[in-house]
Amino acid sequence: MPSKTPHTNGNEPVENGINGTKDVEMKDDAPNPLKGGKGKKLKEGEEEMTVVVPPSKGSKLSAPPQKDTDGDVAMDGEAAGEDDGAVKVDPVTQAISGTWNCCSSAVCSILSANIRSLLADIKSNFPLLERAVTLFDARFTLRALRSISSIRKRLTPDILAQVITDTYPSNSPAARSLLVALDRENATFAKPSSTEMEIDSESKATKNGKKEQKEIIPEVDIFLGILTQIYYLDNKITQKGVVFSAHLAERIHSLNRRTLDSLSARVYFYYSMFAEQMHPLPPSPASPVVSLRPALLSALRTAVLRKDVDTQSTVIVLLLRNYLSTSHITQADLLVTHTKFPDNASNNQVARYLYYLGRIRAIQLRYTEAQQQLTAATRKAPSSPSAAGFSQSATKLKLVVELLMGDIPERATFRVASMERALEPYLQLVQAVRVGLLGEFESTIKQHSETFRRDGTYTLILRLRQNVIKTGIRMMSLSYSRISLRDICIRLKLESEESAEYIVAKAIRDGVIEASLDRERGFMKSKEVGDVYATREPGEAFHERIRACLGLHDESVKAMRFPMNQHRLELKNAQEAREREREMAKEIQDGDLDEDDLGGEYEGM
Amino acid sequence: MSERDLQSILQKLKSTTTYPESTTLLSKAKITLLHLKALTPQPTTPQTLLLLAREVFESGALLSIRYKDTAAFTRYVHQLTPFYELPSSILPGAKSERTKVTGLYLLLLLTQGNYAGFHTELEGLEIREGSDGVRVEDDRYLGYPIRLERWLMEGSYDLVWKAMASREVPSEEYAVFSEILTITIRNEIASCSETAYPSLPISSTKNLLFLDSEGAVVSFAQSRGWLIRDGRIYFPNQSLKAGADLDGNQKELSQLAIENTLGYARELETIV
Repeated sequence: MPSKTPHTNGNEPVENGINGTKDVEMKDDAPNPLKGGKGKKLKEGEEEMTVVVPPSKGSKLSAPPQKDTDGDVAMDGEAAGEDDGAVKVDPVTQAISGTWNCCSSAVCSILSANIRSLLADIKSNFPLLERAVTLFDARFTLRALRSISSIRKRLTPDILAQVITDTYPSNSPAARSLLVALDRENATFAKPSSTEMEIDSESKATKNGKKEQKEIIPEVDIFLGILTQIYYLDNKITQKGVVFSAHLAERIHSLNRRTLDSLSARVYFYYSMFAEQMHPLPPSPASPVVSLRPALLSALRTAVLRKDVDTQSTVIVLLLRNYLSTSHITQADLLVTHTKFPDNASNNQVARYLYYLGRIRAIQLRYTEAQQQLTAATRKAPSSPSAAGFSQSATKLKLVVELLMGDIPERATFRVASMERALEPYLQLVQAVRVGLLGEFESTIKQHSETFRRDGTYTLILRLRQNVIKTGIRMMSLSYSRISLRDICIRLKLESEESAEYIVAKAIRDGVIEASLDRERGFMKSKEVGDVYATREPGEAFHERIRACLGLHDESVKAMRFPMNQHRLELKNAQEAREREREMAKEIQDGDLDEDDLGGEYEGM
Repeated sequence: MSERDLQSILQKLKSTTTYPESTTLLSKAKITLLHLKALTPQPTTPQTLLLLAREVFESGALLSIRYKDTAAFTRYVHQLTPFYELPSSILPGAKSERTKVTGLYLLLLLTQGNYAGFHTELEGLEIREGSDGVRVEDDRYLGYPIRLERWLMEGSYDLVWKAMASREVPSEEYAVFSEILTITIRNEIASCSETAYPSLPISSTKNLLFLDSEGAVVSFAQSRGWLIRDGRIYFPNQSLKAGADLDGNQKELSQLAIENTLGYARELETIV
């Protein structure tokens, strides 16, 4: 293999130049794909042999696939660990690649190796997709999708075009449409003969190449389509992106393959991203997102009918986002009440769904629900730095909702390194509310009104005014056993004594303070504060915490994944154990007459 | 059935004074709109027709509020919504009663106690209007219900009262709600006073509840079941409630504790 590399290097000087600029970014993840890519090339052939062959025999339960799934299970544990979606390397291939490592690095120049590795990276997903189809296991598709984030940075139309020409025969309509979309229809279709030659010259890749040329599964089409969408998105070619995505969505709809489910979810996701970026931008009711709704709604209907959980969850979230972007809150609420969000949706979708739901509930003044949902959303948010934006906005909203509920958020929330700066205005807000200073509160709003408007929390924050007043009253009722309404009025900067009287009366009614008013003499008299531990409060707080722990336990039990066919192994072990026991019993029987009964019992079992 | 018919109906509508007459005219206008396929705005509907349709619905909305037909008013508002969402290039916003109708709708939601609906509507306004650089609160028609809501939530009932009484009302339609709102705030104040004051002299209660005479105070007190003794009002519910609270609490508390503990035991069993 390494000896072949110079040949290909010579073929691609153009890409070298293009990719040269992106060299720096790649340094961190370059070594990994390099190894993986090299190793995978080799491995591909073998994998094809072991995996693609069995279905032709007609049975999926034969020995080789079982071995295979075991391997995957081990990897999945690993996969859960890497949230940032770094390129994953089969443990087996890693072992192989170790041997090639030194040679390959010596032979290749780093730049061309990067392109090669990227090509290999993209292509290495095809067997995954094929395996997903043959084994009907969506996890392989997800794994292919997860590798996108590492490919994304290095994606250029030339590389994509090369992949397309490598995988498709030159007369394939799917390939042509993809190339047209990439604006590379001429540049690369000059090459096919040479690429085919190249494949021929590589003894191991030939099988691979020919096999793929026989029949290219639609999953690969769509996967390349998604890569094209990403290329459009990163280069802000939105107009074309929308048209292309519409075509892609239509194609998926006509294909109706269950193995496409997670891919189609991605397609719709990028589709709506394009629509959002087009002018006029969302708050205006004429935005293209509005015209996207019918498409999304019909996609949702189809997904529900086909029990396509991935697309269903993604599209619900997209629709909610869509409605909220033009502030159609009623419609969003109706959507929530009329759809059921799938229980087994992926974690990220659940987090997004909860965030939007929390937002709707906060607007509807259902703060308790909103707070629960937003707390869950912040907890479920991925901890990787790339998702910092999501956790920031979820946290902001959560803080405001907590304030509205009359709680004071913990100081530690503002100290998290990734949030500290973004939450600065909110910290000032919390401080104003906590002390109950109306003047400070209003000046904070005035000072940061732009930020709050941008975060979409402005209207919620305006509602906080009454909380500030309530806190102020509470502070005064705690500090004074008797205070005149006039003083309250001055302290809280209220318009009149009468207002103060009504406000205090309302606070007493709402249970904010324990006090009574004297109208003739115009003062508020605080009642003695009773012992909190004699009330039900501590019990309730305790109950709340225990329930949260139990919920956590339940959720973690539900989230556990058990490897397929593992129980067979256990059964086998159990059988072996039983046999051993029997043997032992026999020995006992033979050797020691005293244990007769015991042996008999064992036999009977 | 053409645009001209519609215009003549609108002309007639302006001159009529009785409600039944206007409603028949309005339903005629709506039927005409239906024939012209302009009951909801279509992409193909010409601008003149859109303008006419909007005018029909707006006058319908204002009429129904003047005659206190809130159900009809809500219907008109819903019918108007798609028209208001059209970009100004298709349907110019000038000459529209949009803010007036929306403000009235907000006020209606407020009097019905539908705060969730109020805030949902407001949130939409805030985002859509905010982009033009015009603050929603600064609008004459929209600012009024927003201020009222803020005062109601705070408890500054005297400000609400003043806003309604002192002819600060932006237009005559808004006055319709004053009566309903007065009853609402009076009940609010009454329930507050029940818990806040140990007792109240009748003379000052008159001011507190915005009532006209002491006789009205007495009848109001009787309707809420308050006791009147030596020119003072006492609240019997207060002491009663406190006693019941203590008693019921104790029982409830122990029952809750037992229930919770049993629940924990069950959960523990499933875990271990």
